[in-house]
Amino acid sequence: MSEKTYVGKSIPKLDAREKACGQAVYAADIQLPGMLYGKIVRCWDHAHAKVLKLDLSAAAKVPGVIKVLGPEDVTQKRYNTGVLDVMVPEEVGQLLGDIEDQRIFTDHVRHQGDAICGIIAESEEIAEIAAGKVKVLYEPLPVYLSAEESSRPDAFQFDERKPGNRAFQLPEQMFPGNAYGWGDVDVEMAKADLIVEETFYLPKVKQCQMEPHAYVAHYDQTGRLNCWTSTQMPKCVQPKLARLFEMPISRINLVSTTIGGGFGARLGMVFEPETCAMALAVPGRPVKVQSSREEDWVASESRHPGKYWVKLGVRKDGTPVAMDAHFTTNAGAYFTHASGVAFTAGSWMTGLYKFGSIRYKGDTYYTNQAPSGAFRGYGNPQTNFALEQIVDRACSELNIDPVEWRKKWHKGVGDDGWCMGVPYSSCALDECLERGAEAIGWEEKRARYASQSGTKRRGVGVGVMTHTSGAMPMLLEHTTCTVKMNEDTSVVITLSCSDLGQGAHTVLKQIAADTLCIPMDEIHIHVNMDSAGFDIGSHASRTTYVGGGAVIKACEDVKRQLIERASIRLGVPEQALEIKDQQVVSRNDPEKILSVKDICRSGVYNFTNPETGETNGVPGQIQGYASHFPAHNSPPFGACFSEVEIDIETGEVKVLELVIAHDIGRAINPMAVEGQLEGGAQQALGMVLTEETSYDKVGLCRNNGFTDYKMFGAADMPKFTTILVEQPDPVAPFGMKSVGEAGPVNPVGATANAISHALGITFTEAPITPERVLQALQDQKVA
Amino acid sequence: MSSRVLPQFDLLTPQSIPEAVAMLAQHQGQVSVLAGGTDMLVWNYIRKVKPAYLLRLSGLDDLDNVNYIPGEGLRIGAKAKVVQLLDNPDVAEKFPALFQAAETFATPQIRNMATVMGNVLRGSPAGDCSCAILALGGQVVLQGPEGERLVDIDDFWVAYGVTERKDDELAVELRIPEPTSTTRSAFIRMTRVHEDLAKLNVAVCLEINQNTCQQVRISMGCVGPILVRLKQTEKMLVGKQISDGLLQQLAASAQEEIAPIDDQRSTEEYRRQVAGVILKRVIEKAIGAH
Repeated sequence: MSEKTYVGKSIPKLDAREKACGQAVYAADIQLPGMLYGKIVRCWDHAHAKVLKLDLSAAAKVPGVIKVLGPEDVTQKRYNTGVLDVMVPEEVGQLLGDIEDQRIFTDHVRHQGDAICGIIAESEEIAEIAAGKVKVLYEPLPVYLSAEESSRPDAFQFDERKPGNRAFQLPEQMFPGNAYGWGDVDVEMAKADLIVEETFYLPKVKQCQMEPHAYVAHYDQTGRLNCWTSTQMPKCVQPKLARLFEMPISRINLVSTTIGGGFGARLGMVFEPETCAMALAVPGRPVKVQSSREEDWVASESRHPGKYWVKLGVRKDGTPVAMDAHFTTNAGAYFTHASGVAFTAGSWMTGLYKFGSIRYKGDTYYTNQAPSGAFRGYGNPQTNFALEQIVDRACSELNIDPVEWRKKWHKGVGDDGWCMGVPYSSCALDECLERGAEAIGWEEKRARYASQSGTKRRGVGVGVMTHTSGAMPMLLEHTTCTVKMNEDTSVVITLSCSDLGQGAHTVLKQIAADTLCIPMDEIHIHVNMDSAGFDIGSHASRTTYVGGGAVIKACEDVKRQLIERASIRLGVPEQALEIKDQQVVSRNDPEKILSVKDICRSGVYNFTNPETGETNGVPGQIQGYASHFPAHNSPPFGACFSEVEIDIETGEVKVLELVIAHDIGRAINPMAVEGQLEGGAQQALGMVLTEETSYDKVGLCRNNGFTDYKMFGAADMPKFTTILVEQPDPVAPFGMKSVGEAGPVNPVGATANAISHALGITFTEAPITPERVLQALQDQKVA
Repeated sequence: MSSRVLPQFDLLTPQSIPEAVAMLAQHQGQVSVLAGGTDMLVWNYIRKVKPAYLLRLSGLDDLDNVNYIPGEGLRIGAKAKVVQLLDNPDVAEKFPALFQAAETFATPQIRNMATVMGNVLRGSPAGDCSCAILALGGQVVLQGPEGERLVDIDDFWVAYGVTERKDDELAVELRIPEPTSTTRSAFIRMTRVHEDLAKLNVAVCLEINQNTCQQVRISMGCVGPILVRLKQTEKMLVGKQISDGLLQQLAASAQEEIAPIDDQRSTEEYRRQVAGVILKRVIEKAIGAH
């Protein structure tokens, strides 16, 4: 690897200081002249009900209320908050069966927190008071909280287009037998010496981004609908809002604000439709809508919970001859990502191991839970919980070391990737497994913990994973970037990649600085929807890989132009010129030299000598441009090792240590990579040990906030070792691979396996709480 | 559901205890007292309370101290923050149960704001400082229109969230008696994650002489509507040598003596399963075994 000035350095996130000092401007901080306050009135008492009567008259009379909006007062068009439709061809969307089934305000409440009307007032206090005066008569409908319940033949039908309340299954036209994979699983399974089979249950976990959803919308005097939002994907939300409100996209302007965490929670639209509908009702006056944490919880999307059945057939030597899997996910009340997650979850299984044959089925059912959607990892953490545990069970029964099994059977270079048809370009999983095992003391601990007594039992487990860098080829993969050179050689990069807090803009600047050989602090990133070209947003672990690729190309375009101009002025062929230390210099004649600053400055301040008619350089401000479609998705791999200690008198699980070895290709910013792995592990440990959004029997959420939804805090985190394995990917820009979405994946499987190693019990249901552990210990009489 | 907006109330800021008591008497039943605000403001946001008046203690001097007075014991003023327990070496040395409760209490931010008295007045069966104080024994000093009265901590909590304090009384001080050279105490709690309310907590205060228990107070939380003393279990301990066998018997007794429920933090069954385990552990911790 050639030494770079910025790339490969642990540069602190550029927005850290202003965020820590409270200076960053979030949507909630925005104040505009004449601003009004919108309140989305939600149904809190029912998870499923018809609105028989909605009486807004008392609310409308509250002094200071400007307008009340019922379901009929806003567009009657249906929408889908997800944005899959923007990123796949229409015919694919139709095959997947994606539908638009959401309304801005509804008279059919399908989950607690569904929006029933809106109030616009002079202050948030007044809107709040008016909301309390909305009178609603509900007719309760039967409540379904699981696919088992809602798929019964006599169940209420959520949508006539989705009989049996099955929102999605892998379409027969694309996947015969409603399954994908390879080989004949039934035939191969019969050849297995050992078959292990289990049904796993995944919890409904929430992104818990720090910033609750907040917006300002303004239908301005020019007839343009402006929306200040922390969306992860402004360029995809723009056409969604245009379609919903039947306006040309040129009349929709999204203004990206500081983002207080995303993790998928801001993927697609969230409460932009409600906010914009209110703004359209009061032309000329901005409307701010802020949600409480509880609202955010019950009305925005979570990770898909569900039931994951797996059956693995292996030979005595461990050869995995057949894998049969079926993930039934719980969509919650609306379609949103019903197809995406059930579809994608299996690819993290087909992409990981060289099964002799595999058959994956994925389907999704409506229920009266809050809608499920995108969450960092997109199906991968769920798959990891089931897959890595079933593999370990087979290893245990055959007395095969789980690390050795994984080394032997994981896919690698040239094998078909997670998306079939795109072979792996690189794979450093062996090195990840080796270095990770050494760091945790795998062999010694596996042996030592094999026989234990006393009240504290320890275990060590491993989990591996693969993910993607960008969404190619499954989704449209496209980022546009312009790089403008100012007269002083400072740089403005314009694109629409959001920085969710992961440090995307810091990393993009590092990449630009090294490509242009310009100091980082002379580079600015400008995210503006009108100035920036297309981009599919910050998700799918794509911003550094695809956004970075676009930045490199646009910077290369700048360099091409600099050389072109220097060639004219120096009379040296372009091929003989190179850029070094902010000078364009001839390789053959060091006397032939021109500063980048001279070229940039004379391009802007280009004067004509009236006597000679000559100019002082080549005219025109330099601007580089790239419309970048990556040719690959350079999947990263990773190995996580987890060590736990279990108190067998109380069932409490303490995670002592995590070692994560990640196949990063090349770390652009090692500290940011470590941060992603640590933050991802925090979410993974919560999913496997403590987190679950739960509902009472009538479908009301029992823990819509941090009082009773428990994430791992700083004090709960274990000793943490990250190992960045740098084997540059041959097709990736700078050899880089992704990390963001990989974070919350394999600590799930590794920790579940560590618990199983300690106790000899497989826990099929996450979170693995002390209550469940103690019960299992008593059932199995572990002494 | 909760709101982003506080409900409307009048803010009262008395400058003296008599003035505060007069205000409480004047607006009887309509006033919530605000000290640290870590519960009270949240309760306002979630509309658990909608008081017409919030009476804040910030204008009252002399209520913010934690003082150990030799021969008398510990005095904790109504405005003393939980963090002050941690800053006071006498608390660590002479009242370890209370120190240990303060150590794990909520989060650093909340420890910096929440008052010890607020924890007691909250009347929650999960209160960590309250659990320790019940084991240590003590009194709540209440100031009313008729003057001062002292209520024994054993009698202070009458039902979930309900205390002996009358609407026109201001709780001004907590008093915890002087320990002897043979007093030992400890506190343990169980939570889902570190920063959490207890799913079960326990504190013990023993008089130990040559490994024989002379006197004991055991308090347990989250096993009923209020914090409870395990008096049957205490009786089994008094006059006995502490042994593994006895600890096993105590554990069994504790399971019988409690009345936990299922809630968001745990289950009745689990609480019964582990109550004896943590009782055993807290006694061992107090006497320095293990």
